[in-house]
Amino acid sequence: MSDSMLAPISEINPIKSINGRMLQKLIKAGLTWLRTNQQIVNTLNVFPVPDGDTGTNMVLTMQAAYDEIKDSKETNFGKMAHLVAHGALMGARGNSGVILSQLWRGFARALDNLPVLENKDLARALAEARDTAYKGVVRPVEGTILTVAKDIAAEAELISPVTEDFIDLLERVVQAADRSVQNTPALLPILKEAGVVDSGGKGLYFILDGMLRYIKGQALDISIGTVQPLSEMVFLNTLETVEPGQDYEVIVDFRPHNSLDLPVFYGTLEQMGTSIQVGEGDGIYRLHIHVPTPNLYSPIDYTRSIGTVTKVAIENLVDQMENKNQACDETQPIVSPIEPGQIAVVAVCPGAGIARVFASLGVSAVVDGGQSMNPSTQMITRAFENLPTDKIIILPNNKNIILAANAAREVSVKDVAVVPSKSVPQGLAAMMRLIPDGDFKGVVQEMELALDEVQTGEITFATRKVEIDGVQVEEGQIIALLNGKLICSCPNVEEALLSLLSKAHAEQYELITLFYGADILKTEAASIAENIQAHFQDQVVEVQEGCQPHYHFIVAIE
Amino acid sequence: MMKISLVTDSTCDLPDDLVKKHDIHVVPNLIIIQGQEYQDGKGISRQEFYERLPGMVSPPTTATASSGTYQQLYEDLLRLGSTKIISIHAASALSGIFNAAQTAAQVFNQHVFVIDSGQISLGLGFQVLEAAEAIEQGANFEKVIEYLGKIPERIRVMAMLDTLEYVRRSGRVSWMSAHLGNLMRIKLFLEVKAGEVLRSGEARTRRKGIERLKQHLVQLGPLQRLAILHTNALYEAQQILADIDQKLPSSPLVVNVTTVIGAHIGPNGLGFAAVLA
Repeated sequence: MSDSMLAPISEINPIKSINGRMLQKLIKAGLTWLRTNQQIVNTLNVFPVPDGDTGTNMVLTMQAAYDEIKDSKETNFGKMAHLVAHGALMGARGNSGVILSQLWRGFARALDNLPVLENKDLARALAEARDTAYKGVVRPVEGTILTVAKDIAAEAELISPVTEDFIDLLERVVQAADRSVQNTPALLPILKEAGVVDSGGKGLYFILDGMLRYIKGQALDISIGTVQPLSEMVFLNTLETVEPGQDYEVIVDFRPHNSLDLPVFYGTLEQMGTSIQVGEGDGIYRLHIHVPTPNLYSPIDYTRSIGTVTKVAIENLVDQMENKNQACDETQPIVSPIEPGQIAVVAVCPGAGIARVFASLGVSAVVDGGQSMNPSTQMITRAFENLPTDKIIILPNNKNIILAANAAREVSVKDVAVVPSKSVPQGLAAMMRLIPDGDFKGVVQEMELALDEVQTGEITFATRKVEIDGVQVEEGQIIALLNGKLICSCPNVEEALLSLLSKAHAEQYELITLFYGADILKTEAASIAENIQAHFQDQVVEVQEGCQPHYHFIVAIE
Repeated sequence: MMKISLVTDSTCDLPDDLVKKHDIHVVPNLIIIQGQEYQDGKGISRQEFYERLPGMVSPPTTATASSGTYQQLYEDLLRLGSTKIISIHAASALSGIFNAAQTAAQVFNQHVFVIDSGQISLGLGFQVLEAAEAIEQGANFEKVIEYLGKIPERIRVMAMLDTLEYVRRSGRVSWMSAHLGNLMRIKLFLEVKAGEVLRSGEARTRRKGIERLKQHLVQLGPLQRLAILHTNALYEAQQILADIDQKLPSSPLVVNVTTVIGAHIGPNGLGFAAVLA
């Protein structure tokens, strides 16, 4: 790929303006560089929960944008930009993806049918991109991708009058993006507390930097910065599916004899497998890779040839996957039929069990998705566009999906309302107010009111060491969150549940519903529920199979 | 001299004193409990019925009084001097009562006029009561019929079911045959409108359900008549009445619903029937 990605010299020098074909190449470059660095962006999660995978979401969004233009013969810059914006909008996933798509939307809108882009146009487009993105967020927060968008727009405005050279301007913009990203912890305390920079901003930086690297003829498919501090390595091996060539997960700790030549090291590993991550701490390197069975020992042999191997861990992903399938009933839900004129609800559900519960309450369509698997705008629209009614309510059931749901509302010709449920319990509470034959506005209003009628608890594990809200958490530790706020770290799931319920004053409520995750066996869930019941004798404790990944339990207290 | 008589059936849930006071003729429906047939309200009290309901091995079934029963009653009333009979009954979409009465009425030509109330319980009872008061105030037959045609739009009937078991088994609510609420315990709200039983939301807990019921009541605005309905949940029914503190022209009723309806609802249901002012 790298050869074909190199720009011909003729496009390097005279760049006072660029056309649609050039934008096409730049988008591909931005996407490629972002994908190469995806893992870095992913590991910048602030909260120690398996969060929305910002890097993955941004890659998927950019991929959708590129898919829209890759076969286009368009030369008009403005028209090409509109295609990019449309693709990004339809493929947007997660909050970061939606904001990214809004940036493209504003960018395209400023240019309209402009045949070629000059520096002054770029400044104007970046300003419009910034404005559109800010407007797309209900409460804009500084220290995020928005701030980075603002800072690069300011830089472009400042520099464009003094240079006509596109490369010059892009270089300054990339530098401004980098500075802005580095400054995010100063603006957003939660980043500072966690010792990271903003992930969405970093993703935007990689896109712009990829464009610049392409113009300069630098490689885009080998990450130069993927050595992370060991403490920040995150392996989300709770795979949804095992792809071909991902039979085993191999983790090798080694001390290299000489300093590591990263491009060579990566190049060699890429011959062996996928999902490569490298971490470093105190001279020890940790390599993570997914390999097919024939290559099981290759990473170990290779690292032994360049250093001293201190530790090896191998996991059979296929077997892990099969065990997981045994544990959880993946039966698809039977959704309620809908008649023309009725109100149909589309619910985003992070597991088959939760989907079945929503279906049993009368949703008309289910979209798979949740934490670390945010559905795209297109997946959401596709779920309801064929329903025989124009009145649609979307329940995102996750705070990271609300923006994608809003985007789905905007692109649809139907009458769509988003009831912004931030959790599964909130979504279920809203479902209680559904009256399929009721007045649309009234029902939406009622469902919104219902969101606050329930408390949400979540039991998961920390993906990194961190201190938040005064709670010290070690990587891998079980943690409990109440209404999104970290309340404790615990030695086991049951104690986490008990702490959670006590903090939520569950003894003053009537009903505790436990949705157990894909990694909890039915018998295990039943025995935990029994112990919970013993502590809360006046409350009804209900157990439901949720099948959600990452979360041992999702709890509704009402 | 015109004499108009009023006939209804026992799903009207009108208390005995009002029935006597207004000289209303109530035809009892039938309930069959473990092979034994009872006339609604006789042989087994409502309270006892609801207490025993969850433990009944085979679910009780209900039946309408026969056409013959209605025919006999109409004949008797006409012989005793009634010139017109208005016979108002439970929603034809939900029970065969209207049909039984209608069939009987055909024999008597223009003398018996059968009306489908589109309602049940006091949603029906209040229509009968309104008719009775209109007659007592001297309205003629045509006026009463005209008046009755306008009442249903002012009537609101809602119920909160404590369990879905009975309504599902009854098969009276077409959309219940789906899998609604088969995974979670929910309190289902039903509204009866023009003979149809509509889904009107759910609640996850009883406490929230009762709050919703009160909220619905308050939102109705000024009322002419009100009955709090229950199936052996007297205390909570009284509590609802006390909490909403509505000013009413007539004293509100608290009614343990007839077993003929309650068999399809199950115990611990709560609800209301109201006539808007």
